[in-house]
Amino acid sequence: MTTGQISEPAQGRDPAATAHHACLRRAERALQAVAFDTIGAGYSAAFPGKAGQLACGEWLLSELEPGAPVLDIGCGTGDPTVRQLTAGGLRVTGADLSDGMLTLARRTAPDATYHRIDMYDLATPRAVQAWNVPELGPRAAGTFAAASAFFSLILLPQSEIPVVLGRIRELLRPGGLLALGMVEADLDHTPLPFLGHEIRISGYLREELELTLSRTGFAVEAHSGHPYAPADTTLPPEEQLFLRCRRIG
Amino acid sequence: MRDPLKPQAGQPPAVPAQRRPPSPLPGPSALPGTAERMAYLESASRRINSSLDLTATLRNLGKVLVPSLADAAVLHLRDPLPGGERDPGQPTALRLHHSHGTRLGRRSGTRTIRPGGPLARVLSQQLPAGPVVLGTPSAARLRPLLEELYGARTLGRLAAGTALLALPLRGRKAVLGLLVLIRRPGKGAGPGVDHATDSPRVHAFTRAGHEHPEPPEPARPTAFDLTSAFDLASAFDATDSATAGHLATQGGLAVDTALRYTREWEIADQLQRSMLPTHLPQRHGVRLAHRYLPSESGAQVGGDWYDSVPLPGNRVALIVGDVMGHSLTSAAIMGQLRTSAQTLAALDLPPHEVLYHLDEQAQRLGREQHLATCVYAVYDPIANRLVIANAGHVPPVLVQPDGRTELLDLPPGAPIGVGGVDFTSVELPAPPGSALLLFTDGLVESRRRSLTTGLEMLRARISTAHRHSPEHLCQEALRILPPGERADDIALLAAAFDGIPAEDVAYWFLQPRHETPGRARRLAGHALRRWGLEQLAENTELMVSELVTNAIQHATRPVTLRLVRTSVLRCEVGDDSPLLPRARRAGPDEERGRGLQIVAKCAERWGATRLGAGKVVWFEQRLP
Repeated sequence: MTTGQISEPAQGRDPAATAHHACLRRAERALQAVAFDTIGAGYSAAFPGKAGQLACGEWLLSELEPGAPVLDIGCGTGDPTVRQLTAGGLRVTGADLSDGMLTLARRTAPDATYHRIDMYDLATPRAVQAWNVPELGPRAAGTFAAASAFFSLILLPQSEIPVVLGRIRELLRPGGLLALGMVEADLDHTPLPFLGHEIRISGYLREELELTLSRTGFAVEAHSGHPYAPADTTLPPEEQLFLRCRRIG
Repeated sequence: MRDPLKPQAGQPPAVPAQRRPPSPLPGPSALPGTAERMAYLESASRRINSSLDLTATLRNLGKVLVPSLADAAVLHLRDPLPGGERDPGQPTALRLHHSHGTRLGRRSGTRTIRPGGPLARVLSQQLPAGPVVLGTPSAARLRPLLEELYGARTLGRLAAGTALLALPLRGRKAVLGLLVLIRRPGKGAGPGVDHATDSPRVHAFTRAGHEHPEPPEPARPTAFDLTSAFDLASAFDATDSATAGHLATQGGLAVDTALRYTREWEIADQLQRSMLPTHLPQRHGVRLAHRYLPSESGAQVGGDWYDSVPLPGNRVALIVGDVMGHSLTSAAIMGQLRTSAQTLAALDLPPHEVLYHLDEQAQRLGREQHLATCVYAVYDPIANRLVIANAGHVPPVLVQPDGRTELLDLPPGAPIGVGGVDFTSVELPAPPGSALLLFTDGLVESRRRSLTTGLEMLRARISTAHRHSPEHLCQEALRILPPGERADDIALLAAAFDGIPAEDVAYWFLQPRHETPGRARRLAGHALRRWGLEQLAENTELMVSELVTNAIQHATRPVTLRLVRTSVLRCEVGDDSPLLPRARRAGPDEERGRGLQIVAKCAERWGATRLGAGKVVWFEQRLP
């Protein structure tokens, strides 16, 4: 299960407070991943029928050459995106911080490559040092034809989302694609009940999200809103936003 | 009751004189007659008092009087019948309730009693009322009374020689009515004359099985009461009058008892019905139907109840419960528990918590008597799910859209009021087209049918129901009832789930910030344009921004904005502050405090609901 890599001595010349905060945040992200370990297959049961997400996958398949490398960030159970993209002939790498989810994903779509990594550490030295995943470290910059992140960035505070978007952008080759799924809300790291756990969720309204994407170097080519009702009475309906973006510059 | 035959001071004697010469008393020849009378009186008394129902009591009274004592009997009761009041006073009107052997008075309907008139005086026993024979001088005594009761024309149609006897029917506290006995002339039915024939009247007295050892004394005219021959033939003699008087006493008391019993049953029935909802509000995404059948035996009161409570997010709570025992107390406790369940449900707590608090409440109210079983379900038409918890109740039946039915296998839980037992909520899919039937054990369990058999019959019956309208489900369910008297009451609640498509719902979490009202307004506008409801946009955006402005005053956590389009447009703004907003009057220069006034003015309906955590303020508008 998900353990380790949650603390390390403060590095460099950062003030102690900053280091302490970074360390705390790593711990929080890891703890949230532990929650997803236990949610496991319950996630797919609560969120069946992902038409909007599948449509985004179709877009990637139609835009990319067969065999093109794609990174799915927060791949979860691998359903439906990793399965869809591998079946469509793309070379998929799935990344998630939850061991439990990765175990399910390996069963769902065994042809993909999986890495357990904190998405905050993508394209940074920590990808190698802490996670031993050089494939997603600084040297992997510009290697991916596309990336997808469905409802994974919502688990970060608003302050970290642009950072991670920037790191995803680094991993994409120029003109690379990003398929993004978010929940429309004005939330910043707000604890909400989620399938028996309390999960901190962030969200933007669609205009702000587009602004954030353009500030981090993405052009939004299309977006769509999908009202969605989870099949669970503890989860309110939500407005899902799907954005088709391209790395600019 | 005073003996109506006893002459009162200043009044002529009710029975002028014994028209038969006194038989040698106590001669052996009188004994069989007396024994027969006694036997008749005893069996008549028993029959008069055999029922607690008013109609049956009057019918029985008629049957014991006719033909044994008279050719016809007419029973008038005071109108209105006395209710629960301590002293109903003197009657103001009489209404024909029952007649046997005659059509007399059928047309006269309700007769107002003239104060101080002959009817009033007879009823208050200031005036004796018989016996008389029409066409004889004696008839003059009763004529004013009969005219008041039946009218002169009707009276004129009665043949001369008709013998009449009127007796007040007295209850325990007041006079209840008037009994009129009639013997027709010429039929030779008078026991004094027709003694030898096997007339039914005589026969009645010889029911004991032995024949008259010798014919009764023939009646003879006396010097005192000079009448015609047919007077003799039909007149009520003193023994008849005394017998009739005795039966009128018995009848009056039996009517009194029946009225009291009816009143008691009505109180119980009213109490119970007043504590049950007469109609359930129809919500969007779900159709409801209900039935309540009181038991048909015993006190006829039970503690079954059904209820539905609207919850935020177009969800609805469905409740069916059964207080143990069958008494007025059960009904009263049902009322208490139903109210508690309503209050707890409105707080939007999960089902197992509602049952937990209900259990606690019941224990506080009195542990021994407040035992009840209950099923509490919440249907969410947007998630298409059902959450159910059970407190020792019979399991509900879930009908799938394809018609498959299943008895829900819920953790049984302990009855409400036992205490110290955990309840568990179970969540199930409830897709559009499915239905749920909640019921009490009276439907499936009886003396002749075990619970298991009953449940299986119900499940099988429901699965053959070709339609899943809730009314139809109730009808089909009741068909499994065996014929005969129901020993237990039955409550039924059927819910057909239609669901509300996700496309018709919009929901956002919004941090309480200065700019939140504006954002909420923009989001509401987006949703309305998506639904082609631009016409409503202006009002809705205004109201949404007012409610969100109110909400962010006290909210510490994100407020929620929900829009649902059904046959109405419903908006809900939720926040975590329990303070309910109040529509106060804002001064002309005040910027705040106008929000609810605006909502009250623009919306079709609006309201504020306190929840377990926070509150929801909502409004609805009709679709253009």
